[in-house]
Parts: sequence; structure tokens; C-alpha cells
Amino acid sequence: MQIELKTDLIALEKAKKMGAKEVLKLLDKKGVVGRGGASFPTGRKWNIALETKSDEKFVICNADEGEPGTFKDKLIIERNAETMIEGILIAAYTIGAKRCFIYLRGEYRYLRKELGRKINRMVKKSGLDVTIDVVMGAGAYICGEETAIIQSIMGHRGHAMYKPPYPPVEGLWGKPTVVNNVETLTCVSQAILFDDWDPSLRLFSLSGNVKNPGVYEFPLGIKMSKILDVVIPQKEIKAVSFGCFGGFMKVKKNMEITHENICKKDCQHGAFSMIFIDETNNIVDVSYTIAKFYTYESCGKCTPCREGTIRLLERIKQVKGGTATKTDLELLKEFAEHVQETSLCGLGQSAGNYILTGLKYFKEDYMKYIKSKK
Amino acid sequence: MDKILINILKKVQDKYGYISEKSMKNISVKYNVPLAKLYGVATFYAMFKTERQGKNVIEICGSPSCMLNNGQKIEDFLEKELKIMVGKTTKNKKFSLYKTSCIGCCDEAPAMLLNGKPCTSLTIEKIKKILKNC
Repeated sequence: MQIELKTDLIALEKAKKMGAKEVLKLLDKKGVVGRGGASFPTGRKWNIALETKSDEKFVICNADEGEPGTFKDKLIIERNAETMIEGILIAAYTIGAKRCFIYLRGEYRYLRKELGRKINRMVKKSGLDVTIDVVMGAGAYICGEETAIIQSIMGHRGHAMYKPPYPPVEGLWGKPTVVNNVETLTCVSQAILFDDWDPSLRLFSLSGNVKNPGVYEFPLGIKMSKILDVVIPQKEIKAVSFGCFGGFMKVKKNMEITHENICKKDCQHGAFSMIFIDETNNIVDVSYTIAKFYTYESCGKCTPCREGTIRLLERIKQVKGGTATKTDLELLKEFAEHVQETSLCGLGQSAGNYILTGLKYFKEDYMKYIKSKK
Repeated sequence: MDKILINILKKVQDKYGYISEKSMKNISVKYNVPLAKLYGVATFYAMFKTERQGKNVIEICGSPSCMLNNGQKIEDFLEKELKIMVGKTTKNKKFSLYKTSCIGCCDEAPAMLLNGKPCTSLTIEKIKKILKNC
């Protein structure tokens, strides 16, 4: 896999020789974009932090991959943490930061020790006057959101904040802060060093009703049939859920996995975590699991998300219980739209995707639970 | 600014298994953080506990990937076997049972964390063995 290529601090040396401005140009040219889901060009993000005048700047590596069904960052931390750390050092050198953080999710605490050893070794070898501290998350999904991470590191409840100001302008302790995820920072080192680095290769976390789940590297645009050939479904696959937040999509074998193709189906690919659901499962049952997830993980700051996710769970429960009517399904849809439209951050804004896409593409699954004809 | 509050809370949690009122008062004085704020932070994060925990802490993965691979059966079995509901601690303080959103072991579902270490590809038989060895 391309993501496993080591850069052995040579990428950092190259970056130092090039200078900050040239590094940014190179990242743009190579097409390095955020791999956490938003696909924001990394060079542009860094440039904002570089241009913002401040006596202090920070870099945060987001290792809080909490999206259910996503486990690619864990693979990178286990197999190629050095290259990720080098990416952090390159970011620090480029924007002029002295203090960096890795926000590691609490569920991965067993990786903490080894990661700490690698950080010490790499920072020492790099010769840069930079510190990298590991901050342990403590089981809050919302802390994968960049403003919530910042709040968490500053010692507050991990609430998402209004944007703007964006972190590269005003982040940690009000100073310019670059927040990038593990995969992005690993790609930074590789894109700088290797001439033939391929931006179209992405990590896919594949799981669900398949015989060969795991993290795979595929180029964007790969056909669904090829993915299915690799993961080997146990039975006929009818749906893919993009984590919990991205919604359900019908599986069509000849479909190419691209941003456009997925978004046109009202889904969001995020970090390409695909949970395969076979014909023996009802979408309503999977939705019930997702509804519980949202209720549990809503941070409670804004009312539409805090209350709305609870109402959605109640209604899905009602459908599962067999007491819902067709009118209730209309209401469910309306509720989901309200939560999406009025919530503050990405969590609430995506908290209805699984319902809206479920009702749109898998209505028959809902109808199995509807006994009344009205 | 140099002390990261959640790292401090994590240390206390690791040492005592939970963050007691007494610990919170100590942290409040030592780091000059209002007690109310500290309580707010400690109760925000699922992994910080303000009550004493069992000797062994089990965190079941509640992700759709695990659910599609018999995750619910594992959860039901643990509840039945330990005679407690999710979120509770056994009377003899040997086990605490929790559910998390996802532990990132979706390729080895169903999975859980036992005292922070992953136990994967779970079956009822496997769990029986794990519990016996605790």
C-alpha cells in the first residue's frame, strides 16, 4: 500500500530546503487534500495559518477517528506512525509552530505507549525545536470535529463552535492552528518525497456482512464490483452505509466510487468507511443502531441535535415496534430534515442522513414494519 | 496552559479507576480550575467516571459493523451472565459493563475492550473463557 511507504525524515529535509512557500505550492500541485472527509486542500489550509500573524502557532494531528466503521487511522498509527509524525513536523516547520498535539482517541489507548516512543525518537532526530504532546481523548465522538478538539485540548467540554473564525486563523488559545487528520499528514510526507505519489489512492475501511473486512487502498473511481470481489459478501449485499453519518446507498455493481456518484445519491462518503449490509438485514434495524449512536454522541450544546436525535430514536423505535403508520413515516422524514437544517455542527447536520436515505431507497424495509394501511 | 486538563483527569482515572469528589477538589485547588467547571468536563467524556468502577471494565462496541455480526447477542449474553444492565457495576465490584459507539475493530467484529485492550471476533464461548480468566 502507498500509505505504508516510509519517508525516514528525508521529506522533512526536502521541505526545509524548499522553504515554506514552495512546500505549499508542491502540496497544491500534488493534490493533497484533507482525508478526514471534507477534502479541503491541505496547502491552502496551511497557507492561511502561515499568513496569519501571531507569536505562537499550533499543529494538531486528529487521531480521533470515531466514525463507526472507520479504522484506517489505527492501521497507519500501527504500521507507519513515523511518516505521520514527520507530516506533523513538516506542518510545524511550514507554518512556524513550536507546539504540536496528537489527539488520540481513548478507545486506542493501547497504542499510546508505542506512539510516545516513536514521537520522542523522531523529534530528537529531526533537530527541530518542536514538541509533540499526545492528548488522550476520553470517548467523545464529537471531538473528531476540529473546533471540538480545540475545546477539548484547552480543557473544556468538547463542544463544537461556530465557524468562522476557522482554526487556521483563530484556534487553540486564540492562535492560528492547523488541524489535520492522521491520513492527511502521512500523505503530506509521502507527497513531498515521492515524485510518483498518487493522490487518487484512498484508504477504504470495509466491514459488515462480508468475509474479508479490513482496510484496503483503492483508487477513486473503482467499480463497486471490484470492491465486492475483494471483501466477498456472505450473501447478496443490498446496501452500503457510509459510517453512521453518510446514509444508506443501494449497491449497484457497475457504479464507480467517486465523490459525485455518492453525493448525487444524497449520501456522504466521509473517510470512505463502507459498512456492507446484506439482504437478511432490515434497514430499519440498522437505523435503530445508528439512532442510538446519535442520541449517545450528541454533545448537548444545541437544542435541535440534543432533543432531535432523541425524538428520531423514539420514532424509529415506534416503527420497529410495529405501531407506526404511514403518516408517522412522513413525520419521521420531516423531523430528520429539521434536525439537519437547524443543528450547529456536522454531527447534527448529518443526523438525519440515515433516515432520509433509508426512506428514499429502502422504503420497502420500512413498509415491512407498517401494519396499518393509513 | 501547559497542563492539559483532560490528561490530568485521565491520570487520576487510571490511578483510582474513577474521579472522586475528593480528587476533583484537589485538582481544582492545584490547577486553579473552578470545581463546577471540572465536574462539567469530567461528566462530558464517557470514559471519565465519577463513581467507583469494577475491577474489570468491559466496553462493548455498539457500531453497526458489530451489530451486523451478532453484536447484540454478545451484549445480551454479557448482561445475562454478569446479571447487570449496560452502564452498571456488579455487586461484588468485579465487572463494570459499558457500551461505546465504536472501538475501531470493525474488521474483527463483534468486539469489545476489556480494561482498554481489544477482544475481537467474539463468540459466546470466547466470552465465557474471557470472563473466567478475569
